[in-house]
Amino acid sequence: MFAIGKYVAGRFAAMCLTLFLIVTVSFFVIRLMPGSVYEDPELPQSVIEALEDKMHLNDPLIKQYYYYLKGVVLDGDFGISVSIEPSVPVFKILTRRIPISLCINLASLILALPLGIAAGTLAAMKKNKLPDHVVSFLVVICISLPSFVFASLLQYFVAFKLGWLPIIYSPTAQTMEKAVSLVLPVLALSFWPIATVARYLRGELIETVNSEFMLLARTKGLSRVQAIVRHAFRNSCLPLANIIIPMFTNILGGSLVIEKIFSVPGVGGLMIDAINARDHALTIAVLIFYSIISLLTIFIVDISYGIIDPRVRMGAKK
Amino acid sequence: MPQSLFEPAGGESLSANPFHTKPVGFFKDAFLRLKKNRASVISLGVILLIGFLAIFAPGFNEHGFNDQQPDWVNLPPRIPGLEKLGIADGGRVLTNRRTSDLNDTEKYPEGSVLEVTNRKTINGVEVADVKVNYYMMIGAEDQYFWMGTDYLGRDLFTRLFVGARISLVIAFLSVLINILIGVVYGAIAGYYGGKVDMVMMRIAEVIGSVPNIAIVTMFILFFGTGMLSVVLALVIQGWISAAQLIRAQFYRFKGREYVLAARTLGVRDATLIFRHILPNSIGPIITTAMISIPSAIFSESFLAYIGLGIKAPLVSIGVLLSDAQKTLLQLPYQTFFPAVLISALMIAFNMFANGLRDAFDPARRGEE
Repeated sequence: MFAIGKYVAGRFAAMCLTLFLIVTVSFFVIRLMPGSVYEDPELPQSVIEALEDKMHLNDPLIKQYYYYLKGVVLDGDFGISVSIEPSVPVFKILTRRIPISLCINLASLILALPLGIAAGTLAAMKKNKLPDHVVSFLVVICISLPSFVFASLLQYFVAFKLGWLPIIYSPTAQTMEKAVSLVLPVLALSFWPIATVARYLRGELIETVNSEFMLLARTKGLSRVQAIVRHAFRNSCLPLANIIIPMFTNILGGSLVIEKIFSVPGVGGLMIDAINARDHALTIAVLIFYSIISLLTIFIVDISYGIIDPRVRMGAKK
Repeated sequence: MPQSLFEPAGGESLSANPFHTKPVGFFKDAFLRLKKNRASVISLGVILLIGFLAIFAPGFNEHGFNDQQPDWVNLPPRIPGLEKLGIADGGRVLTNRRTSDLNDTEKYPEGSVLEVTNRKTINGVEVADVKVNYYMMIGAEDQYFWMGTDYLGRDLFTRLFVGARISLVIAFLSVLINILIGVVYGAIAGYYGGKVDMVMMRIAEVIGSVPNIAIVTMFILFFGTGMLSVVLALVIQGWISAAQLIRAQFYRFKGREYVLAARTLGVRDATLIFRHILPNSIGPIITTAMISIPSAIFSESFLAYIGLGIKAPLVSIGVLLSDAQKTLLQLPYQTFFPAVLISALMIAFNMFANGLRDAFDPARRGEE
């Protein structure tokens, strides 16, 4: 038990160190970019100076960095947005936008799991028969096509031509309509995870089916389907969990573009806007958000490996 | 016992039968297997076709990829020959036009109206959706833009294939650099092992643990958009998987007897690495390179979408797609052609890579 605690603590420390590095590098990279944040010629010089004083922009960079870190760590203060939503704290913008992004990402993952598992199991059970070929073909297509191509297809045909679903997100609508307008972004995001899960599970199951405990299960009198569902499938579930967690980071990356296409007011569109509007405080905060999510997924996978497979833990010790 | 007492059992003909067929080498063997895989052959055909078009197609018509023609903005596709069949005939549907204007030759020149549908009355005015030959309507009957033009009147056919050219160059270049760095890095780490290996792999691990979006965004923000910085942004983390692959291969082969034999004969480290061990990994290297190309193409378009792609006059498939996205509902053809091209490229490269892997390593056939 003690060893596990030590291992977890070690991974956690490594994660924090990486996060700190990212914050530092992104702070300096973004602050060193040319051009002041306050370039508006309309602003009187005195106001600019007052603003720069307030933001410590006239201090040396290292001091600014100190103030920034202090604000982030002590008060959760990521600075103030200057051009996207002027003078609104960045933290407030993020807390408003993160839930909707997480919502569509989780939804597409949850949608993808049963479909991917079903497709993968079907392909493995009917190996080298028609269902397998159909699934494998669809998997190649879904893995190859970029999510924004799917998004364009869905938006044009399902929403515009057929009129079944709203073309873009409707921010003013009621809760129910809002949810309906999120169906297409979720769908566009879920093709890739469905295909990935199906492909992985198919390979995993085909390998398991040939193992000896499956033979035992069959000799006990279980049918092929029973044996696969009760024994082989369970065996493949654990490794599956470890590809699903990192997939979340990937979906989150894809949703950068998807949110833009469907005008969803999530973090993805925010990052694009912040970069283009040179809203530095916001850009750094969004980068930190993405980094935390992706580091967390790596952390969870590491830990679960360490708990399931003691060899990983021992390896870390020496 | 004296040797003379022994005599060969088979009489005089002791020599084995000579081989009548030529020996089949590693690459020939792989090639033979690849040829049998129909999907890979078709994919290779598609890749070669797109490659050919990317090199030569921009010269097929007289329009340059950056020639702005303000008179011919947003023209739909029109292809001679096909237009008689009603495909790519330069037709465009204008919605809710007054039906009373239909006979006005000022607005609709003779023969430009192709179809009138969906007649209805709005606020007492009779309107209809009119499908017109847009080329005739704006007085450009003698022009043929095979894939139409964009919002600045630039020929989309030329732009598409110039874009494909640049996307492919970016993909190939970044993958090549990744493989080069990966081979050298992985070879050194794998060959020397021990402390060297541990330090080198820790460094790779730290670089790899930074989220891709964060590192690429910061890199491009710092070095500015442009072709070179996009290529380098794809390299920052891209080389790590190649390095890990090569390292694993070295761990597999460096303990073999033939390596020991070569070392006993006094062969230098560098020769051992590159001449004796590395050739074992040539199959996995080629396969990895092929698999990385579609993901590099994807990353490039992805960057273009979030506004960190290559800079304006240059164009790539991603830039075309993200430009066209804004007018998807009004001018779907602008999205259609780049979307088809990028899909074809990605599917073809993925299928070809699968075929290559099966050909180089038949034991893993069917695995994904």
